[in-house]
Amino acid sequence: MVYPQDIKAFIQNALPCDHVEVQGDGHHFEALIVSPEFRGKSMVQQHQLVYRALGDRMREEIHALSMKTFTPEQWAERGVP
Amino acid sequence: MSVQDTIRQQVTGHRVVLYMKGTPDFPQCGFSANAVRILQMCGVQDIFAVNVLEEPEIRQGIKEYANWPTIPQLYVNGEFVGGSDILTEMFQNGELQKVLKKAA
Repeated sequence: MVYPQDIKAFIQNALPCDHVEVQGDGHHFEALIVSPEFRGKSMVQQHQLVYRALGDRMREEIHALSMKTFTPEQWAERGVP
Repeated sequence: MSVQDTIRQQVTGHRVVLYMKGTPDFPQCGFSANAVRILQMCGVQDIFAVNVLEEPEIRQGIKEYANWPTIPQLYVNGEFVGGSDILTEMFQNGELQKVLKKAA
């Protein structure tokens, strides 16, 4: 069984993040990730960075991970009402 | 022919290729169903769908092909576009419609 906080730790350990939120029921997870590493990258490349951070766990333990990725700038902009 | 060659032939031989679980009429996963629904809302009539549940070699091979560990995966004119989350976001901001129109 994988817990949302495990996934959060896996991501944070492998990718410098400003902010990570993970929710899930042990099989399906939703993650929100803000990282300076996403700057200048396409959405595909951003998701690939997260998948790389999770490595083999993505194949074996995590059935489904839905994610939203933001650069710190995009995240700051989003925070403004 | 290797699995990678088969995949290359599929994605370059058809305009819109979706690797999915189940079929467009009977998707067997919510994420695959979402991808089909989005393509239909974009007016795509000619989805070339590959049901990875019936093709275990493709199911493994496709994860390596685009270095993408999840299914569904959408390819337009041979280019990997994204999975379920990216399609949703691109559909909402109009990018996907542009990609599909350009490929028409």
